[in-house]
Amino acid sequence: MQLGLTDVWLLSPEIALTGLAVLVMVLDFFMRSGGTGPNRGTLAVVAIVGMLIPAGFTTWLAFSPNRPTTGFYGMLTSDNYALFFQYLFLGIGLGVILASYDFIRLYIKASGEFYALLLFSLVGAMFMASSTELITIYIALELTSFPLYVMAGMLRNNIPNNPDSSKRSSEAAIKYVLLGAMSSAILLYGMALLYGVTGTTDLKSIASALQTFTSGGPNALVLLLADVFIFAGFGFKISAVPFHMWAPDIYEGAPSPGTLFFSVASKAAGFAALIRVFIAGGLVQTSSFYVWGLIAIAALFSMTLGNIVAIVQSDIKRMMAYSSIAQAGYILVGFAALAFQPKNNSATSAILVFIAVYVVTNIGAFAGIIALANATGGERVRDFDGLFRRSPALALGMSLCLLSLAGIPPLAGAVSKVVLFIAAWNQGGFLPWLVIAGLLNSVISIAYYVGIVYRIFVATPPRDDRLPISRAASTALVLSVIGIIALTIFIGPLLNAGGMGAQSLFSYLGK
Amino acid sequence: MFPLLTTLVFLPTIGALVLMVGPKGASRWIAAIFSGVTFVLSLWLYIGPLVGGSGTAGFGSIMHPAWSESIPWVHFAIGTLQLNIDYHLGADGLSIFMLILNALLSFLAIIGSWHVSNRTREYMALLLILETGVMGVFCAFDLYLFWLFWEVELIPMFLLIAIWGGQRREYAAWKFVIYTIFGSAFMLAGIILLYFSLGAQNGAYSASFSYLASHQVAGTYSIFGISIASQLLLFLLLYLGFAIKLPMIPFHTWLPDAHTEAPTAVSVLLAGVLLKMGAYGLIRICVDFAPQGARDFALPLAVLGAINIIYGAGCSLVQRDMKKLIAYSSVSHMGYVILGVAAAIGPGATNPAFREAALTGAAIQMFSHGAVTGMLFFCVGVLYEKAHLREINAFGGLMARMPRLTWIYTFAIMASLGLPGLSGFVAEYLVYTGSFANFPAQTIIAAVTMILTAGYLLWMLKRAFYGPLNPRWAHLNDANLLEMAPLVMLGVVVLFVGVYPGFLVDLLRPSLHQIIQTMGSLPVAGR
Repeated sequence: MQLGLTDVWLLSPEIALTGLAVLVMVLDFFMRSGGTGPNRGTLAVVAIVGMLIPAGFTTWLAFSPNRPTTGFYGMLTSDNYALFFQYLFLGIGLGVILASYDFIRLYIKASGEFYALLLFSLVGAMFMASSTELITIYIALELTSFPLYVMAGMLRNNIPNNPDSSKRSSEAAIKYVLLGAMSSAILLYGMALLYGVTGTTDLKSIASALQTFTSGGPNALVLLLADVFIFAGFGFKISAVPFHMWAPDIYEGAPSPGTLFFSVASKAAGFAALIRVFIAGGLVQTSSFYVWGLIAIAALFSMTLGNIVAIVQSDIKRMMAYSSIAQAGYILVGFAALAFQPKNNSATSAILVFIAVYVVTNIGAFAGIIALANATGGERVRDFDGLFRRSPALALGMSLCLLSLAGIPPLAGAVSKVVLFIAAWNQGGFLPWLVIAGLLNSVISIAYYVGIVYRIFVATPPRDDRLPISRAASTALVLSVIGIIALTIFIGPLLNAGGMGAQSLFSYLGK
Repeated sequence: MFPLLTTLVFLPTIGALVLMVGPKGASRWIAAIFSGVTFVLSLWLYIGPLVGGSGTAGFGSIMHPAWSESIPWVHFAIGTLQLNIDYHLGADGLSIFMLILNALLSFLAIIGSWHVSNRTREYMALLLILETGVMGVFCAFDLYLFWLFWEVELIPMFLLIAIWGGQRREYAAWKFVIYTIFGSAFMLAGIILLYFSLGAQNGAYSASFSYLASHQVAGTYSIFGISIASQLLLFLLLYLGFAIKLPMIPFHTWLPDAHTEAPTAVSVLLAGVLLKMGAYGLIRICVDFAPQGARDFALPLAVLGAINIIYGAGCSLVQRDMKKLIAYSSVSHMGYVILGVAAAIGPGATNPAFREAALTGAAIQMFSHGAVTGMLFFCVGVLYEKAHLREINAFGGLMARMPRLTWIYTFAIMASLGLPGLSGFVAEYLVYTGSFANFPAQTIIAAVTMILTAGYLLWMLKRAFYGPLNPRWAHLNDANLLEMAPLVMLGVVVLFVGVYPGFLVDLLRPSLHQIIQTMGSLPVAGR
């Protein structure tokens, strides 16, 4: 076996995206736009149009069913699961660049850096979905995270209604670095323990080593610790309770486009890697019930704490932080369904679909928040008062996204949540109870999601004017609304795509 | 074939979209045209099968609905999970008459809201979206689809109460949402449980109504060591959502608040069709899909129904607010639906004819209550528009100033208290006849409550409309033509059903007969 052109082909989406990130950085340098000049638009267009190239490579791979799936000596796996996430991450790139365009002009003033960081982070996220080797996954995680740390601190000008915001942005960046470093350390420790048990860092070899593993053996405790540490390490990325503490502060402090990016890219990438390591690495087959108990409890507390605390928030981004914690809890309900049946591709594909719908919806909701911040400089919950009268289109789009997040039928959020809960329920055991807890949590979540809708439509606006809505952000919102409607209608094909992605994860598992 | 049901469901939504882009001044007309066309189309649901030549049997039952449209939506089978959800709409007799009622009341609600001047466009758009949601509930023939439509009404209703409501609108709107969504969460749990229990038992996974009605869950579930008959648990989970909507005591407290605070037309729709969603769900979902569970719960259901009837009437007696009085009278009147259904599924070895009479009575009560309470709310609305007051004792002698309104109000009250010749009588009589065999004590309580019903309604009429004219109201004008139009249209319907209930009975017979047959095939409990 030696490296060849096939390996490069399999890596082509990532390579193309890296090239694009470098191109954007260099262009910015030569244009000396400083983020404010007339060339700002060119950068955004280059970034968006440039993403067609990696998208083209991904599509090429997707339509080559007979391609080899592993490359680089098994370090890279370009299977359907990876491709599913590649499309998702490219979609995130498109949504975030559109949503952030005017915000950057107003408050960040550094288009080039922002877009380049975003694209580098997306490269890392893609690797998190496609690597099948622990060290590579770790490096991918760091590649995803470092741009995020910088993005958290990029708010140069204060948001008008929040005079401390620039300072808080720097504070958020420092916090994010410290907590992120800690979580990486925990993850690395878990990986080291796993290496200690199996003697390899390759997921395929780990899976085959674990097939002969006896649960009562001397290494059982070490493996248990490895499982817990790995879950904890990724738990930070997906902001599941009890590893969620960073999220509210950093979501609030970071500039809104950055927050949008953390809430979708970091979470999706975290789940991508978590699921990959647990399933492809065979951990699902050997994990003891302590691990599943921990995951179930994390799911329960993430949903409950996220939803209850979100109700009392006065800052919209803090509210969205708790909302995203709760959404992570729903996803973990599906993840816990792997406890009884490791090769549960129905639950896995339901998770993938839920993540995709969550990403699309959250982009829309944040595009609305950003558009409002651009127009009024307000990012508090009460800045949404009477939005419908000030900007009906923005209000309708934003409400649709929030209602979809709340899981109000017949929007995509509801359909994907129902599918996820059905898949979990199907497993029996403690899962129906977890599903019922999830359903009751959906009831609680009405309080804040519909609470915003209530403010938008019912409350008296602070001023009776027409808001100028930035075109780029509203394009992102419209795309996301179209996405929500389309995903509702075509949820069947999406589920099948998720199913194909899930199926490719199980190839290393025995039995 | 022309997709009539799909058109009925989505035409109002298209109307709402047209409203949002259309000229602001024409919003009333646009809404009226779209809901009017929907109403006219909905009549074809009734006429079509008759013209088709198969006579009244052609309305079909849940197994073979007269109208049916199906498009595959989610077919997902990997691993152990099989998820089959279809976009399956259907309409048999029971659906048809609720669909027509909804189309009629939505149209009248828009006509009756002509005076709304605050944010008219949004108001009309929300009414139309509400109509879509309710239409969907009444013609969904796939259980998941039913649940999806079930919650569509939630947000429009919430906003309608919260924006155009009365003094305590915020409180009432939130209470409505929390109650409803709480019930529907349990309903979804019940739906998922039913789906998988049946699938595991029969090897075929489907949520289509015909499949669910022809296969029944057997066995018991055990929860924390307590074992409970599967069907009973399913019945209770599903019924919780419907009980809140009906509303059944003790889940009724949202209703007086929501009714009182909602604007007139919304109260009409709330009483006229939204409560009926609960009753429809009870008959169509709970009884059809968990008949044995329904039978096990029939006695508590009958008791709760009787309590509903007498408690609602008792509360009505002491109300000072006219609208609140009607709201509590709704609680009382919906009790007849519960009692009728309970009698139809009761455990005794009853003659099936009695069962069918009780169930027919319950179904006609759904229609009758919708029309009659709609009239009452419209009357109060007209009065409130002029006087800006609903306190019964503050009025007096309005007959002198508003003879037209007084006459139609008196007519509605007579229908509400069950005067023979009007629709309320038909429904109540059938319920009494049918339920006495199974639940004599409850029936007697219900029958005696008629005295209270007459008491609170006539007393209100006397205090507000007869006697010497309170000089404070000497300036009031009588209802004008626009305000009278919906009242008269509903009055005609009420009178027609009262004089010739046969057409409703014919419409309902095939659907209800199916349920009675299922009930008859169950083993009679030897308890």
